[in-house]
Amino acid sequence: MAAMMQPQIILLKEGTDTSQGKAQLVSNINACTVVADTVRTTLGPRGMDKLIHDDKGNVTISNDGATIMKLLDIVHPAAKILVDIAKSQDSEVGDGTTTVVLLAGEFLKEAKPFIEDGVHPQNLIRSYRTACSLAIEKIKELAISIEGKTREEKKSLLAKCAATTLSSKLIGGEKEFFASMVVDAVVAIGNEDKLNMIGIKKVPGGSMRDSFLVDGVAFKKTFSYAGFEQQPKKFLKPKILLLNIELELKSEKENAEIRLSDPSQYQSIVDAEWNIIYDKLDKCVQSGAKVVLSRLAIGDLGTQYFADRDIFCAGRVSEEDLLRVAAATGGTVQTSVNNVIDEVLGTCEVFEEKQVGNERFNIFSGCPSGLTATIVLRGGADQFIEEAERSLHDAIMIVRRALKNSTVVAGGGAIDMEISRFLRQHARTIAGKSQLFINSYAKALEVIPRQLCDNAGFDATDVLNKLRQKHALPTGEGAPYGVDINTGGIADSFANFVWEPSVVKINAINAATEAACLILSVDETVKNPKSESAQGEAAASAMGGRGRGGAAFRGRGGRGMRRR
Amino acid sequence: MQPYGIQSMLKEGHKHLSGLDEAVVKNIDACKQLSTITRTSLGPNGMNKMVINHLDKLFVTNDAATIVNELEVQHPAAKILVLAGKAQQEEIGDGANLTISFAGELLQNAEELIRMGLHPSEIISGYNKGIIKTIELLEDLVEKGSENMDVRNKEEVITRMKAAVASKQFGQEDILCPLVADNPANFNVDNVRVAKLLGGGLYNSTVVRGMVLKNAAVGSIQRIEKAKVAVFAGGVDTSATETKGTVLIHSADQLENYAKTEEAKVEELIRGVVESGAKVIVSGAAVGEMALHFCERYKLMVLKISSKFELRRFCRTTGAVAMLKLCHPNPDDLGYVDSVSVEEIGGVRVTVVKNEEGGNSVSTVVLRGSTDSILDDLERAVDDGVNTYKAMCKDSRMVPGGAATEIELARKVKEFGLKETGLDQYAIAKFAESFEMVPKTLAENAGLNAMEIISSLYAEHANGNYKVGIDLEEGVWKDVSALNIWDLYITKFFALKFAADAACTVLRVDQIIMAKPAGGPRREQPAGNDED
Repeated sequence: MAAMMQPQIILLKEGTDTSQGKAQLVSNINACTVVADTVRTTLGPRGMDKLIHDDKGNVTISNDGATIMKLLDIVHPAAKILVDIAKSQDSEVGDGTTTVVLLAGEFLKEAKPFIEDGVHPQNLIRSYRTACSLAIEKIKELAISIEGKTREEKKSLLAKCAATTLSSKLIGGEKEFFASMVVDAVVAIGNEDKLNMIGIKKVPGGSMRDSFLVDGVAFKKTFSYAGFEQQPKKFLKPKILLLNIELELKSEKENAEIRLSDPSQYQSIVDAEWNIIYDKLDKCVQSGAKVVLSRLAIGDLGTQYFADRDIFCAGRVSEEDLLRVAAATGGTVQTSVNNVIDEVLGTCEVFEEKQVGNERFNIFSGCPSGLTATIVLRGGADQFIEEAERSLHDAIMIVRRALKNSTVVAGGGAIDMEISRFLRQHARTIAGKSQLFINSYAKALEVIPRQLCDNAGFDATDVLNKLRQKHALPTGEGAPYGVDINTGGIADSFANFVWEPSVVKINAINAATEAACLILSVDETVKNPKSESAQGEAAASAMGGRGRGGAAFRGRGGRGMRRR
Repeated sequence: MQPYGIQSMLKEGHKHLSGLDEAVVKNIDACKQLSTITRTSLGPNGMNKMVINHLDKLFVTNDAATIVNELEVQHPAAKILVLAGKAQQEEIGDGANLTISFAGELLQNAEELIRMGLHPSEIISGYNKGIIKTIELLEDLVEKGSENMDVRNKEEVITRMKAAVASKQFGQEDILCPLVADNPANFNVDNVRVAKLLGGGLYNSTVVRGMVLKNAAVGSIQRIEKAKVAVFAGGVDTSATETKGTVLIHSADQLENYAKTEEAKVEELIRGVVESGAKVIVSGAAVGEMALHFCERYKLMVLKISSKFELRRFCRTTGAVAMLKLCHPNPDDLGYVDSVSVEEIGGVRVTVVKNEEGGNSVSTVVLRGSTDSILDDLERAVDDGVNTYKAMCKDSRMVPGGAATEIELARKVKEFGLKETGLDQYAIAKFAESFEMVPKTLAENAGLNAMEIISSLYAEHANGNYKVGIDLEEGVWKDVSALNIWDLYITKFFALKFAADAACTVLRVDQIIMAKPAGGPRREQPAGNDED
């Protein structure tokens, strides 16, 4: 090797992998198209689900673009960008993740022949960006505001949006049922912008229809000690004390030590310890609370002490649930039982412990501040409930966004067709190459109705032609026409209440364009060999994430906020 | 075989290269390779590079400084170019690409001269004359009246910043520039922060006078307005001894009161803070549960900022003095905020600290974008903008952009070269020719016909229209002063100077002697991928 150690050959470190030029760009596009193809079939109400089996043997069945993208564990640097935009769409609007990936893939696919023909990518990028801003303007123009309606009207409008989202999911069969549940939950938390105030609890067994909404908090009964049975299980308007301390016999402080010179004192020390715990319990009782919850353990002694005094208690309540109870009942979590004033106690209409499936649930309903809601999901299989939870999360996000932005557009591919038509029309006014590029952008947008048809088993070309004809009507009355998934023809999506919040579409088009432009603008990839420490790191995370962004590919736990 | 000559003097395993062909030409080759990589990224229409560094982090950028930084260039001569680029990045913070690409071009032209038979020293002397003349000429090209500017005038700032930002994010400079320019009077690079939040698009980006912390408040109070702030660097908790200590308890009474005294102590401290008038407590370390309990009780908002730098900036934003430990704060040490609120942006809960009043000079640009790589790239564009702002505070003179300056320099230097006697003439002519690289690359990257553009540019300049450059929007030549494309004089000055210096340094080398790499555990050794 020493003989070939000519320094000029090794400009970069050994093991560095470089590729550049048109071929590299085309290969990036191909990689992205492949990724888009995998999620393609999940789009729309008739989209199919994917079963993903990971290396740990976990099975996930999902129809949610972001979830699938995350579980795919993509290592190709360009294709990773698609995962990123799915993630971004998920965090920004919560739904439309499949759409965004599909659009980006389609934009790139349309760009490919131009690149192969020798068009400079920058020309394409510039046209795509123009097209994107035109499209967004058009959406804003077409959007219909739901502002200024009464609460009831608004609710039914929001339910329409939620139903559109849910129709493409596993629980689509019960979309009205869940849509109204989601809307009630979101309206309940009001303007307070906290997603974690909506809890989703999963109980296997029963049917979807058995799912219910609690206008307060519900959580699974915690581990309980002897004496629990004697406690009352139902209260009306109880006062609720929330604690962050242990009500158990234990050493007071880690670093305290007792040294006695006189054995006779021993009993007094034992008594003192008992006194301390009795004192704490007594203070809880004196506060007037009928329900005592603690984040930490409540031991045998405490359980029985409370049972004797007709008080309900639960220890080891998870922090999230405790905070939700605090927000719902208007109480504050106490770290000390001294000086418990009435102000820090919460209250609710009804507290009860109920049997749900084969679990017991503690349910606080009719909470005064009304800032929380809990959906208890029922269903057959674990995977089914998991997917239902993801679907509900999407629906919740959609309703929240719709509530915030208050404008909706027609779904079912109608808005995409309309933008496509508008861009084609606009393209004709441009002289020069960008006419072609904007036309191809417009064509790419048609992928949404096309895929909807394909997934439903309709003749896409036929339906698209009908749609084009409608949208081309000079009066503009055909603008809200989209694919009718029930009949296989076309229908006025707006009249059929297939609605989407406009922000979903705006964000999807924007993110897809940004991603497509980013991929088009890359003409060279340089991959440095991994340093040793990084290799160890990569092996540890086993997912080949990338530094800080690695969390995105860790599969579970990524979309943590929907976990409960 | 018995080693002889230089080989006998050095330890086995060294490398030794000398002579024109082996050393100089090969060095030039390496530099050329490097500059080919960066060159396609030059200008607004430059292409991005995807660089995956040794930590497996993906960069998608056209910022030359980032590219060469992550490339891990190994070749010693090419490294000199990288260093020149870095020097430019540190001096100005922008124009690193110009430095590297121009140096590469100078060397490429030098190679031709060497093949013609010129000695490197003659080339160096010619290049030196060239750069001295260039700098003289550059000064003449400065736009009249631009040496005085009001750095607080947003319009003027944007004019000067536009080209720098546009070269990173073409088509988005109109959104980015105002974000950067919209900064308080008391300017300092560290005072402009960038918060990257995934989701949305660039048009959602905003500027906040104050800070954006990427975590939510600790307690349940999430929003407060017009409040005084107490900052504790050492954490809000009961103080514990550093040395391991054990509390000895002698009697039952002591045991019973042990917990109570601790509670009372914390309450007293928190009450002290409340009495001083503070409504917000900021902790630099952990917030104890007991302390949090009393903060909630007294309705204090609690923030945790674990980074020391962030805490220092927070103090600067609010005008607070950080106190080391939890104590009764002096009213003078309290800071003030207009509002502190926890908001949800794109699914992330962030704390927005706003302060318009007082000497607050910290502002944060909240960038939105759909992927991490876009956000990173936007951040670099903002950084370049900020650095340009810094540079223009030093020297606000500007020269025409869009390659107009380069063409003019090429023309003038060529003329100057013709007057020189001796072999320098060739070197100066090549030096002048190297300037053509800029318009050529700009045109090529934009998909235009480079030769046609250059020749027409020369024609225009020969007629005295020295402000004519390339209009990349339309792909024609135009008066750039009408398009408002200006480069900072100081950026150009240093970029050209560093490039010429680097090129001369590389040319001056005629021998490369590499000692055997030191023994010991080598990094690459266990990595089996070298072999296959």
